[in-house]
Amino acid sequence: MINIYIILTVSTNLLVGMTNLLSLGQAAFYGIGAYLAVFALMILKLPLLPTLVLVMAGTGLLSLIIAYPSLRLKGDYFVLATLGFQLIIFTILYNWISVTRGPYGIPGIPAPKLAGVLQISGIIPFLILSLLLVLFVIFIFYKLVHSPFGRVLKGVRDDEIAVLSLGRNVTAFRVWAFVISSAFIGIAGMIYATYVSYIDPTSFDLNEAIFILAAVLIGGTGNIKGPVVGAVFVVVLPELLRFVGFPDSIAANLRQIVYGLSLIVLMYYRPQGIAGEYRLQ
Amino acid sequence: MRLLMNDIILEIDSIKKSFVRNIVNIRGEQEDERFNIIDDLDLLIPQGKITALIGGNGAGKTTLFNIISNFTDADSGDVLYKKNGSSVSILGLPPFKITRMGIGRMFQDDHIFPNMSVLENMLLADDNKFAETPFTSFLKPRQNEIVEKERIEKARQIFINLFQDPNPFWEKRNDPAKSLSYGQQRLLGLARLFMANYKLVLLDEPTAGVNSQIIKQAMAIIRRMVKENNVTVFLIEHNMNVVLELADFCSFMSHGRITAFGTPEDVIGNDKVRRTYLGV
Repeated sequence: MINIYIILTVSTNLLVGMTNLLSLGQAAFYGIGAYLAVFALMILKLPLLPTLVLVMAGTGLLSLIIAYPSLRLKGDYFVLATLGFQLIIFTILYNWISVTRGPYGIPGIPAPKLAGVLQISGIIPFLILSLLLVLFVIFIFYKLVHSPFGRVLKGVRDDEIAVLSLGRNVTAFRVWAFVISSAFIGIAGMIYATYVSYIDPTSFDLNEAIFILAAVLIGGTGNIKGPVVGAVFVVVLPELLRFVGFPDSIAANLRQIVYGLSLIVLMYYRPQGIAGEYRLQ
Repeated sequence: MRLLMNDIILEIDSIKKSFVRNIVNIRGEQEDERFNIIDDLDLLIPQGKITALIGGNGAGKTTLFNIISNFTDADSGDVLYKKNGSSVSILGLPPFKITRMGIGRMFQDDHIFPNMSVLENMLLADDNKFAETPFTSFLKPRQNEIVEKERIEKARQIFINLFQDPNPFWEKRNDPAKSLSYGQQRLLGLARLFMANYKLVLLDEPTAGVNSQIIKQAMAIIRRMVKENNVTVFLIEHNMNVVLELADFCSFMSHGRITAFGTPEDVIGNDKVRRTYLGV
């Protein structure tokens, strides 16, 4: 699970931390990635790598269609547009029963096959696979952030008028950031679908979108280690709180409260996140 | 003084721009009034010279700059830019395309990148945009490295040329730009313009709010821009000493029009200008 969230947060960081675009639609791309993976694995019966390519291309392409109209909007209106998109995708996944089986979900998703023969099933091979994918995603994003492309994105984040006045097409860079972020979030969806082997739309709802965003902001934006720390934090903290000996009857609720309180305290004392270098405006 | 047409780099032709503003009329009622911030303005900017634009607050100077670089739409009129001997209309082009045609801009409020390093501020201004598409740096890592080295060397040369060696900018190159003093930030904004091969730069009050030491440095930089790189400078300036010392031509703007144009001595000495603007 940590690995899935690291991919989600590192990809989201490209939008939030690097380009200053707050998106509430990330869970939608997560879901689209998961459903596309199921389609590729169960109906097309593709092995792992073609599935990966298909998932990334599919989510990327869809995000491109979304990017153009929504990126014309500024600031808060962009956030609302992504919120609308999130709700639309969720409704489609939930109600288009003949394709997605809606609220019944899709059970029995097969384990992906590597090179057509090697089944990846069981905890350890899966951990290795997801770790490899995480390292791949982190490597790509590290390179992106430190490339001239990443520099322009940082410029867009700091001052888009200045970037325009230096002869760069700000909208094009925003679209790129949006598409790349979405395509990589699709990978997280694929891992999730094959790992849990059952998906239904409630895993990709607005709560999930807010959760992803919270993880990014908690960890900190603007660099790679921030989102990684954030993902570890939001996944591990609730688990750790299990070991604190709360009385059984109120344990679940108390855990939620402690979790919420720790978020508030954290945001109060470290608004740029645990390991972030940039504070969202 | 007469200007020959082939010496003109920018021709501003009957530009009009009006805003609707909300006022309280004599009877104390709210009322919308159409207000002409730029009213049928014509101006020619001579090539290779420094032309100053002076005028009171709210005279429309910055609005005129914004129309030239299209951060604001004009209601009517045209802006013609001479490039390679032929005139092209640049009105309505996206701002980044106008920049790519060789028109640089420095803003009144800096617009440097505060959270990026001093060096990154320079590199981002380079007119060589190699590897600014997402995956070029993956596909051509060697070439990317070479271009990055060239960019850094270019920035270093500019710093050493403009300021002495060793200079504070190169030493602080890895610090965030917001750690520089305000005056240094303005100088960085000027230095950044040297990263690209501009033919015309619009400077909006380059010496506002800085001490006399920085003003001197800024003036020296602007002079070198013109002399060494053959850049045409069009600048908004409130400091009359700077205008007198620096500018070849001076235009006075009032009520959305250019009401005087000539040498700085003539314009600043003009009775009308002295009465309406300088208040003497």
